[in-house]
Amino acid sequence: MSDTTASDLGAIPARIQSEIQRAIQRSIKGVEYFSSSGPALGLTPKDVLSVRGTMNLYHYRPVADEIYRVPILIVMATTNRGYILDLVRGQSFVEFLIQRGYDVFMLDWTPPRPEEKSLRMEDYVLDFIPDCIRHVQQESGEKDVTVIGYCFGGVLSLLYGSIFHDGPIKNLVCLTTPIDFHEMKLFANFADRRYFDVDRLVDSVGNMPPEMILSSFEMLRPVSRAVSQVQLWEKMWSDDYVKSYRMFDRWATDILPLSGEYFRCMTKELFWDNKIYKGTMSVGGHAVDLSKIKVPVLHAVAEHDHIVPYDSARHVIKMVGSEDKEEVMLKGGHVSLVAGPNAIKRLWPKLDSWLGGRSI
Amino acid sequence: MTEKANDPIALWQKTISEIEKGLNAFANQAMGSPEFSKMMNQAGGITAGAQNQFRELMERYLLMANLPSRAQLIGIAERLQTIETQLNDMRALLQQVTNSTSAQRSPTNSPRPPRTKRPPQPTS
Repeated sequence: MSDTTASDLGAIPARIQSEIQRAIQRSIKGVEYFSSSGPALGLTPKDVLSVRGTMNLYHYRPVADEIYRVPILIVMATTNRGYILDLVRGQSFVEFLIQRGYDVFMLDWTPPRPEEKSLRMEDYVLDFIPDCIRHVQQESGEKDVTVIGYCFGGVLSLLYGSIFHDGPIKNLVCLTTPIDFHEMKLFANFADRRYFDVDRLVDSVGNMPPEMILSSFEMLRPVSRAVSQVQLWEKMWSDDYVKSYRMFDRWATDILPLSGEYFRCMTKELFWDNKIYKGTMSVGGHAVDLSKIKVPVLHAVAEHDHIVPYDSARHVIKMVGSEDKEEVMLKGGHVSLVAGPNAIKRLWPKLDSWLGGRSI
Repeated sequence: MTEKANDPIALWQKTISEIEKGLNAFANQAMGSPEFSKMMNQAGGITAGAQNQFRELMERYLLMANLPSRAQLIGIAERLQTIETQLNDMRALLQQVTNSTSAQRSPTNSPRPPRTKRPPQPTS
């Protein structure tokens, strides 16, 4: 006991010296931080195949000598930018996929323009996704397509997959996708129909401002932003930490506005009436029945997801009608599931091993 | 282990992390109540209403001052975007024409790899 205490005491001067060096580095790099911009993101070479208002379809240039037959279409969440899946070299999910021999396309979103406030759920499910699928088929020359949907992109993919159950989807991968919206308890409470007048809000603002969406995300963990700033200052001496902080912080605050009518539908049909889970949802007159989805389905959920809690996502696998289906729960949160060191170690290899055999 | 337990920096970081978790959990509990929803939405409704009135007032003022309103500027921005899109389309077309008349090939038109890849065999 006394030996341990003596060695601890002996280590104090070295610790003090290290802290002084870090304090100096912190000051120097702190100045650098405020005078420079963060790393450039989303730079994996790609071609823009189609742009139609808020809808953007990219095709990433293959780098492998030989690629899998079935192309992949990634459907991004409508509130966020797709570059979370294409951060920097070595930390890009898209780069990982193309290096492993997949032919990758991404349906990404830009802010809907004021006149796009009238876009409805059916525009996303019955127009944008089918249009992108057609482009993917045309570009790849293949009829089959694997669809990967992240967060609400997963919801749109499920809606599309259930309506076009005889369509071109060969495999469906959902990444942390909610379908029981009453289990997203805080969001459901914020949107409580007794107090939240969604009609008045949408009618007055048109498209939902990104600041409002960002506030609702941040309210889920109200203290975390302030704490992350403290942690950033403490670790300002570490280039890797600062680079990673800047990438994720930029993405997390780069929220997209939502089309007013689409938001109205989300609020009423999902947060109020929970229609997908109850099996009463319809899109543009087409009934949504998840049991009609028969293709192989993989659903990856995160153990510590505070945005899409497990209870809101766990029914996906039970409700789809596929025989070949799997849910995998991985360590991490809503974002670290798909990007960053945690994803590189866990989700990406899992996805590759699941998808490879199903992409031929 | 002991070293970490006696390290004041590590202790400080752990304490901050614990405080963060505790406060988040406490706030989440409070925010889960119907009273919070009522209060938040009342405040939000008042703000949205005030913003709307202010916007209308501002538009009238800008009209009087013979200045463009935000909506008009957005309209101009949209037209610029449309022009940019058309320029991009023309550039793409021009590139296609150039490629077809010269031996140069862009990466887009370069031969595609064969779609014959098979997953690696598991090593036993």
